[in-house]
Amino acid sequence: MSDGPAVEGDTRRLSPVSCVATALRELAALLVVAVSGLLISGFNVAVYFTLAGLAMGLLHQAVRWWSFTYTLYPDRLELRHQLVGRSVKSIPLERVRGVDISTSLPHRLLGLAVLRVDAASGGDEGVLDGVTRAEAERLREALLRRRAETGAAEGAAPEEAGPEIIARAEPRWSWYAPLSGAYLLTPFALAGSVLGTAYNLSNEVGLISDGTLSHLGDTVLGLSPLLGVLAAALIVLALPLLSVLVFAWFNWDFQLRSVPNGEAGQGSLLAERGLFTRRSVTLERRRIGGVELRDNPLERTLGVVRLTALITGLGDARHRGRLLPTAPRDIATDVVAEAVGPFKEPLTPHPPAARTRRLTRAVAPALAVAAVAAGTGHPWLAGLALAAAALGVPLGVDRYRQLGHATDGRLLSVRSGSLIRHQEIIEHRAVVGWKLRQSVFQRRGGLATLTVAVGAGEGGYAIIDLDGDGAVAFAGSVTPAWITPFLARQPDPDKEKSPDGPSGDSAQARGAA
Amino acid sequence: MTSLLRPPAHRVSGRAVIKWAADLLVGGAVLTGVSYGFARWTVGARWDFQPVWLPWAVGALSVLAVLVIPLWRYRVHRWEVSADVVYTTVGWLNREWLLVPVSRIQTVDAEQSWLERLLDLATLKISTASHEGSSELTGLPVGIATGLAAQLAHRAHDLRDDAT
Repeated sequence: MSDGPAVEGDTRRLSPVSCVATALRELAALLVVAVSGLLISGFNVAVYFTLAGLAMGLLHQAVRWWSFTYTLYPDRLELRHQLVGRSVKSIPLERVRGVDISTSLPHRLLGLAVLRVDAASGGDEGVLDGVTRAEAERLREALLRRRAETGAAEGAAPEEAGPEIIARAEPRWSWYAPLSGAYLLTPFALAGSVLGTAYNLSNEVGLISDGTLSHLGDTVLGLSPLLGVLAAALIVLALPLLSVLVFAWFNWDFQLRSVPNGEAGQGSLLAERGLFTRRSVTLERRRIGGVELRDNPLERTLGVVRLTALITGLGDARHRGRLLPTAPRDIATDVVAEAVGPFKEPLTPHPPAARTRRLTRAVAPALAVAAVAAGTGHPWLAGLALAAAALGVPLGVDRYRQLGHATDGRLLSVRSGSLIRHQEIIEHRAVVGWKLRQSVFQRRGGLATLTVAVGAGEGGYAIIDLDGDGAVAFAGSVTPAWITPFLARQPDPDKEKSPDGPSGDSAQARGAA
Repeated sequence: MTSLLRPPAHRVSGRAVIKWAADLLVGGAVLTGVSYGFARWTVGARWDFQPVWLPWAVGALSVLAVLVIPLWRYRVHRWEVSADVVYTTVGWLNREWLLVPVSRIQTVDAEQSWLERLLDLATLKISTASHEGSSELTGLPVGIATGLAAQLAHRAHDLRDDAT
């Protein structure tokens, strides 16, 4: 079984220890129930129920373990669940996009790991919950090697042998955590989900009655207001510290390594992170179509940035495509150079009409609200809206300043946003189309928004408010073969077809402003 | 603007105007009905704000939309399939120019709603790995749409490099 020789096509089961690991996890959940039961209604029959539940859970896990097998064939991985009914999931190896190994604390203690196979099309995903660490590594190697062999050879630089550390997080980066809203709010989200789970579980076993709830309300409301304020202040003060802990929890000893696998010469990037749950994600290099750098104004002042890879067919890309946690910009730049190649081209700013438009969009809605509020006799609301409009001015100006785009012949880059600024660096070969859009308001200023369609990440990245001709020229400089046949001024005699409709079409009626 | 790009070679079928008008008519009727119901309800509930004029305004706007938008659209909607790119323009007030290379196409579908079947029209859906890079062309005559779908699917298969 799981200790047998690594022959292709032999059928294996998960490690038997995995039953224990899953049961342990359920035990933790049951403990929460038991403890909350003790707290809320004292020692109770419900606690015995939880013990019975644990026994049931263990039995269930044993049956699950016995009925689940997986087989690695030369061309596919088959996951088979067979008890009374039967379900077979077959993942063709050429569809494998990445292999993800994670180990939670109980898993680590038992020498186990969870292997997640990411496959293209329809979010098909295979999960092997509980194989030995060695087996996980073997499977990862086999899955990705086969993938590299069956896959068509596409242009990727040949790698030198041996895994090589590209970047490694320093513990002091954890102090950047409070800068990002996401980490500040994570403690809330975690507390919320823990409380929610506890509530649901104890509700299910009948531990919470209306009486205990209203009693709880009395105790909270019974506190003096001063104590309440103090508690609130304490929470606010503790938040940044908590966010540092959460950051460390998820990103402890973050390592990004370059792994050459397969004779085809296509390597992968391997990102590993986590304090208790170690998570390692393998990203195939040929699937990386670009990268995204994100930061907010606070992070900009300290010069730190978050880096993710844009990967085709990767679910949950925002978390799994992570190439660096919040990190100094120069280190991020090095990683970008390693992932997609160096990009040194300065970004071209957008025309002044774009500034007018950014400002209008930031200020006009608030002004409209102010006008309506003043007209209908709500002076304080009008004042509030006016203040918001005033705040919109620096925001609009900064939004304009952050707009930019550039191409260096192999990579193109797009930047926009202010409160969350994001810059994408995208390989030309990853572009799958262009969408040029012009609203009525843009037409007045001679502007247009060019969207780069990419089969990765969010699917498209907008270059906001270029001048119309500049947009066409930019698309043409990235993919000349797709644009030149449709240029009006330099017709290509081979491909040009004369329009059959009447000329003077509205799209042409208006010249460049 | 975009005087650099010439418009695509072909217009969509003139019958598309009828389809768009019918779509707008249905939408306008529903909106007018809803706003009428809302106005009645505010009267019944004795609100301070009783917009009895609302259904009239919505109805008038709907009629205007039915009269203007389809013809306006017809002037804008155009398509062309060159050796390796599908080039379309759509929109009316806001315009869109879409360029999708044949080599990046993943699927091509020609679809017909019941109205389109009556009018002998079809909608061509061209999808790539990206939602933003996928185009939808309404108002093609059925023969042309199915022919294009077959031809594009065939060529996309030959050129396939969908960047995934």
